[in-house]
Amino acid sequence: MEAVSKSTTWRTVDLLYCSAFATLMMVGANITSFVPFLVAGGVPITLQTFFGVLAGLVLGRVKGAVACTVYMCIGLAGAPVFAKFSGGPSALVSPTFGFIVSFIICAYIAGAIVERYQTRKAYVASGLITMILIYLLGTNWMYFAYQLWAAAPEGFSYKIAWAWMVPPMPKDFILAIFAGLLAYRLQKTLRILPIK
Amino acid sequence: MMEKMIFGRYIPGDSFVHKLDPRAKLIFVFAFIFIVFFANNAVTYGLLLAFTLLIIFISRIRLYFLINGLKPIVFLMIFTFLLHTLFTREGAVILDFGFLKIYEQGLKQGIFISTRFLVLVFMTSILTLTTSPISITDGLEVLLNPLKKLKAPVHELALMMSISLRFIPTLMDETDKIMKAQMARGSDLSAGPLKDRLKAVVPLLVPLFVSAFKRAEDLATAMEVRGYRGGEGRTRYRQLKWDYRDTICLISLVVLTALLVFYRN
Repeated sequence: MEAVSKSTTWRTVDLLYCSAFATLMMVGANITSFVPFLVAGGVPITLQTFFGVLAGLVLGRVKGAVACTVYMCIGLAGAPVFAKFSGGPSALVSPTFGFIVSFIICAYIAGAIVERYQTRKAYVASGLITMILIYLLGTNWMYFAYQLWAAAPEGFSYKIAWAWMVPPMPKDFILAIFAGLLAYRLQKTLRILPIK
Repeated sequence: MMEKMIFGRYIPGDSFVHKLDPRAKLIFVFAFIFIVFFANNAVTYGLLLAFTLLIIFISRIRLYFLINGLKPIVFLMIFTFLLHTLFTREGAVILDFGFLKIYEQGLKQGIFISTRFLVLVFMTSILTLTTSPISITDGLEVLLNPLKKLKAPVHELALMMSISLRFIPTLMDETDKIMKAQMARGSDLSAGPLKDRLKAVVPLLVPLFVSAFKRAEDLATAMEVRGYRGGEGRTRYRQLKWDYRDTICLISLVVLTALLVFYRN
């Protein structure tokens, strides 16, 4: 059946996979608010970065990156899809917006790795690499965004930006390994990408 | 809860701002984000603040909702304010606690930057409070239309956004159902060490992903049998209408920019 639009080589179902994943990212960012299985000190921990890593691993590079773009766009359009049910263009001002932008690039890289090497080890390694990249891009963005929006004086150094990011780090790296394992498991069922 | 998910923070109303075309509002807000940087003294920041308050008044949004939108950024604002007041060492000393001196320039800068945040967050909040995500998506598609010439998939992006928005309540429902089903089978998500909990999440996430992708496939089939074949020649159910109000809105933006450029140092 050829029901493809003339301008793209995308099937309709590919578009919808991306939509579905963008929505899953929304559920993931807030799942701990209604299923309290990861709560630290009364505060539900967001799985937003976890789903950011999963995007590329599950959908492959192009669709993964597109899904993350859609997620960012509906968030900016005002749907409460980011962590803590936040959304709207004011997210642009928030220093952590860089993490959401970094998902797009990272999903592409993660997808590219697992499209080439289809083993379980590759999935885990790809998850870890992606998480490192998300932190690198996100923290740098945070530093520069803060310089721009707040015209931060010398008191706000590059070190402070990183110190800010240390507390959630261990949890995110455990989750990155878990994301790799889970994505491999999901591919067995979903069969979007070939696996070994 | 479900209502909140579909409409985001949108509050229906019939004020001047509500009736504006989403295109006008989008252009306005995105231009405003850049214009804010023109302000660099008391007069210009005052102008921005007055303008924002005027729009809040016209939009007839209760202040409660705006302050609610401020919550995620409050910490940042206070942090920035303190950073500027404590670390800038210019101008006359206003307060002297011996070990801590607060300078005039620092206090000024702190207030200015906090105002910048306040104005940005208020203005963007007004956009999402008076416009539903769906009409923003429609407006965005039309505004980005020229990019289609560069082969950017504008229509596809807008379509994916609308469908995602539509999926949100469905998938929230689904999550709830799966969670209850697994709890009925005796899975315990809220106890035990981290490793056990992560293991318990797998039977929650796998069916969720499978059902989400199943829905996506079903919807794709439904769209194709109804003759969906991309953006070309597609007609729309919700029509956008450019009104005299929208022109007024953009003229006010130009006037504001001119005033800011005129009064800045």
